[in-house]
Amino acid sequence: MKDISKNKLSQSVDKIISKYHGKPGAILGILKEIQERNKYKYLQKEILEYVAKKIRVPISKIYSIATFYAFFNLEPQGEHSVIVCRGTACHTRGSKNILDFIKKTLDIEKLSEEKTSFTTRDKKFTIKSLACFGQCALAPVMSIDGNIHSHITQQKVKKLIKHI
Amino acid sequence: MKITDPQILNNLKEKGLKKLLPGKPRIAVGMGNCGIGNGSQELYLAFSKILQKKKIDISLVKVGCFGFCSQEPLVNIYIPGKPLIILNKVLSKDAEKIINNIDKEEFLLKKSLCKIEKWDHLTSQIHYGEGFNEIPHWNEISFFKGQKKIVLRNCGLINPEDIEEYIAVGGYSTLYNVLKGLTPEKVVEEVKNSKLRGRGGAGFPTGIKWEIMRKVVSDKKYIICNAHEGDPGTFVNRSEIESDPHMLLEGMAIGAFAVGADEGIIYIHTESPLPVERLKNAIQQAKNYGLLGENILNSGFNFDIHIVESGGAFICGEETALFESIEGKIGKPRIKPPFPAQKGVYDKPTNINNVETWCNVPVIVAKGGNWFAEIGTVNSGGTKVFSLVGKIENKGLIEVPLGTSLKTVVYNIGSGKSKNIKSVEIGGPAGGCIPQKFFNTILDYESIAKLGVILGSGEMVIMDKDDCMVDVARFFVEFNASESCGKCVPCREGLYQVFKIINSITKGKATEDDLKQLENLCNVIKDTAFCGLGQAGVNPVLTTLQYFRNEYEEHIKEKRCQAGICKNLYLSPCENSCPLHMNIPGFLEMYEENRNEESFESILQDNPFPAVTGRVCHHPCEARCRRTDIDEPVLQREVHRWIADSIYEKGKDKIIFKKILENKLPSTGKKVAIVGAGPAGLTAGFYLVRLGHSVTIYDSKPFAGGMLRIIPEYRLPQNVLEREIQFIKKLGVKFVFNTKIGINKSLEQLEKEHNAIFLAIGAHKNIALDIPGEDLKGVLPGIKFLEDIAVGKKPAIGKKIVIIGGGNVAIDAARTSVRLGSEVTIAYRREKDDMPANKEEIEEAKIEGIKFIFLSAPGAIIGDEKGKVREIELTRMVPGEFDSSGRRKPMPTEETYKLSCDTVIFAIGERVDSEFIKKFGIKTRDNGAVEVNNFTLQTNNPRIYVGGDITTGPATLTEAMSAGKKAAKSMDMQLTGKDRFDLLFKKFTYKNIVPVEPRGGKRQQVKKLSRKGRKGNFKEVSLGFSDIKAKIESSRCLRCDVEENRVRS
Repeated sequence: MKDISKNKLSQSVDKIISKYHGKPGAILGILKEIQERNKYKYLQKEILEYVAKKIRVPISKIYSIATFYAFFNLEPQGEHSVIVCRGTACHTRGSKNILDFIKKTLDIEKLSEEKTSFTTRDKKFTIKSLACFGQCALAPVMSIDGNIHSHITQQKVKKLIKHI
Repeated sequence: MKITDPQILNNLKEKGLKKLLPGKPRIAVGMGNCGIGNGSQELYLAFSKILQKKKIDISLVKVGCFGFCSQEPLVNIYIPGKPLIILNKVLSKDAEKIINNIDKEEFLLKKSLCKIEKWDHLTSQIHYGEGFNEIPHWNEISFFKGQKKIVLRNCGLINPEDIEEYIAVGGYSTLYNVLKGLTPEKVVEEVKNSKLRGRGGAGFPTGIKWEIMRKVVSDKKYIICNAHEGDPGTFVNRSEIESDPHMLLEGMAIGAFAVGADEGIIYIHTESPLPVERLKNAIQQAKNYGLLGENILNSGFNFDIHIVESGGAFICGEETALFESIEGKIGKPRIKPPFPAQKGVYDKPTNINNVETWCNVPVIVAKGGNWFAEIGTVNSGGTKVFSLVGKIENKGLIEVPLGTSLKTVVYNIGSGKSKNIKSVEIGGPAGGCIPQKFFNTILDYESIAKLGVILGSGEMVIMDKDDCMVDVARFFVEFNASESCGKCVPCREGLYQVFKIINSITKGKATEDDLKQLENLCNVIKDTAFCGLGQAGVNPVLTTLQYFRNEYEEHIKEKRCQAGICKNLYLSPCENSCPLHMNIPGFLEMYEENRNEESFESILQDNPFPAVTGRVCHHPCEARCRRTDIDEPVLQREVHRWIADSIYEKGKDKIIFKKILENKLPSTGKKVAIVGAGPAGLTAGFYLVRLGHSVTIYDSKPFAGGMLRIIPEYRLPQNVLEREIQFIKKLGVKFVFNTKIGINKSLEQLEKEHNAIFLAIGAHKNIALDIPGEDLKGVLPGIKFLEDIAVGKKPAIGKKIVIIGGGNVAIDAARTSVRLGSEVTIAYRREKDDMPANKEEIEEAKIEGIKFIFLSAPGAIIGDEKGKVREIELTRMVPGEFDSSGRRKPMPTEETYKLSCDTVIFAIGERVDSEFIKKFGIKTRDNGAVEVNNFTLQTNNPRIYVGGDITTGPATLTEAMSAGKKAAKSMDMQLTGKDRFDLLFKKFTYKNIVPVEPRGGKRQQVKKLSRKGRKGNFKEVSLGFSDIKAKIESSRCLRCDVEENRVRS
């Protein structure tokens, strides 16, 4: 999927930059909006370099911010986003098992326990976990493409993923 | 249109009130996070569609969260002049019915949760109406009783997306009064008087913070709202913003005025879009009305608010890291001093407070600081909002005055029914777990801190025996370690090492040295980490080590996780819960494969009484069976009963027993004495003799069996018991009967003649009733009654029996008496669900016509002229406070009543008769139970071991057997210096295929004797399975044991 031409892209980035000009938390806001507008919800290297130049901040600093905050993705995300809540209440109701089950079901290679986000090879799914959805009374909770599903079990997960 | 004078504000208030209390019905759908998660968006659409289609004139609006999240979706129904009704668990398909019946009282009654007649918004009052007498008031419901809504006063009642509804309930009138009539110093003074403390968790007095800020001289000051709620498992601040965003804005505006700032920043967590959306919307509305921006309310005061969405780094909740983040850097904390009031964001003086702290400000200024200080404790004014979740019935957002006890929250508000509630986790990743014994503690900063936990920002998770405390610690440390910013070594490296150690503990790979190192490491990190994340990040470990050290030790020394969470430490939930740790999936699989003898062998090696336990075990395996999530648990106990019965019947046991006899290990030359031929002693003997030791079991009775002997025939035929005891004799265990140690033979002598002694004398001393009349003729202790029956004596009972007690002895006595032709009533002092007896025994008793009365305790037994029992006087009890057993303590009332009867059998518990043991120098506790090392089962005399009821008090059959097994292993290690116990256990191989679909259908029914068939005899009531039934039942097993990475197999 080709993105819009470089010129158009730099124009829209310029607009975003000027929108946040002088505001507190500007860099966070700029990067967030750029990521949201990207089809694959990630920050491309060239764009980061462009922003760095435009706002006169060293690229190393921009890179540092993009890697420090969990929200930012430096890799293209899958078409569908599956997020499992790993809050305390969900954890005590077995959310870790659900997360492991989803990874197995979607045949994601065994990655080290420290990695926080997993994308399938065919780029159809990205699985992440979240600290808390705020739905603790309905634990365990997960969201698929922004829709929240509560009281999930392995059976429910199987059905939901099949439907996508 | 900007508000420039009080008249405009008033007009808006009237406008808003007309929306809240329109002249027509109003439906308000709960659209907080929890509501939406439960389908309230679809519900709202459903209402909207129907109202549009049918062109009905009903006002439809969104409101926030009223707090009772586990009952969402909640819908408020307003009918002019009537109380506000709150409906719960409303589904989209209910929408039409609700609209059609909106003014019908009977309909509303059926679907309603509670009503509100008038509501105190603190900045104003709303009067809805009176009526609907059958519907309880909102604060009569257990969830809301004891709560006090200050911060949450508007939540769930007003539309958070409409500023006019906020103004209608008095919103922004406080800001108006402040700007028109108060000085900044006066505002600070009110906040000081209120004793409000920082609600983010640290609890620093807000008034003092503001005072410092007020005094700072600077050209530019900032105020910040820390809305970065990053704790996993907390949704307090989020809900406050979603349901009433203007409350925060008004609080910040007042605060900015008080401290002299003109710019405010709300730093909010990016994970939840809804609060951000509602906040942005609220800010825009406030700006439109001139409540934010320049020259607010025509007072000359300028104040603007910006929202900064965080990038999702937990550390940014720490104030200085937050400043860094706003300034466009990564969130690494700064050193303090300088403190925020001196140098904060952009190096300017900054006052930063948590969301909830700001939200309290309008109310404090409106009602006065002293009003606020009266609520709460001496040191902390006001209330605290908690997100109450976990193993309780009522879950949601609660607001209680500081100083409320944990007990009230868990058992009353949360309606925690389970007797297994073990702890409450407070404070999230910086907090810790408070054990049940400290539930009397009140919720305030100091009291909680004394326990080593912090009050935190509101997370409260209730945990029970199915939660592993080691796993909880691991969970939080993993989180903290992954969120470390990396700046300092103690946190960056240290937390990861802490995680590694705990992880190895949960996998059964840790040693005792690791435990010491863990504690040490945590203390070092606590002392040396640069900021709160590291310093407090070890709290979950330190508190669980302090209060639940036994769980860590079990994971390490025994490689067991009792809660059944750490997967590497057990085969399957059923096997884990079985005190004998029988390989249940294994024997079920082998039986299905028609390998009946091997299946039996597998059972026998862990359980020397398969047929006995198959009849009377309390089957904890069933309670943990995962098949329950599909239909009903597997009847593991019935299957192993059938396997044993059928093997015995076909005579196939002889070969198996011969093999066991032949495989006895060579003689060690050591002599072991066992005192007590009950299940604990017999089981210990079973293992010790096979390990090659010379074993002698002493018992004061003329036969072996202990308490097993007195279980009535209809439950456990004597020949079944006798057969399995005989096998132990055949293995070479010597029995010396009619010998009471301490009387016929001394413990000293025993010690001289043997290398080790296992005391397993159980708990037989009947606890006396201790009431007038207990010496009358016809009053019998339950155990004595059953003992007499067991040896064929005819006990002196009459025709009308009252039995006092609620355990298995009471039920056994009752069902026996009924067979002897008497009429029986059981009187128990607590409630039905509190009875310790097996549930199935209680059901059978009911079938057999036994009457039960609850909440009745014996006061006196009255006799006739001949000194025989004539009647019993009982006192009515009411359930009081929860006691340490997790049940409500029965409290006597003034009411008494009499039951006529001619016999009273009492079975209210047993004590350990340990006098002779005490005299030998062995330590005991107040109730007589012997003190023991839980891992080795040794007493303070290393050659004397104890196990079974003698240490636990009356418990269950398999727990006693398990103690015997453990003691045998432990004694053998000491006698030979080697850990050879595993030599007695054979490994079996069988198919390890997990069924793709659940097989076997519904649970098999056990055939039982009809009520008629039981009358007047002691024939076995449960007829057990058949071969086919047992095979089908075995196929229902889901094979939870088939997984990778096992420590045991």
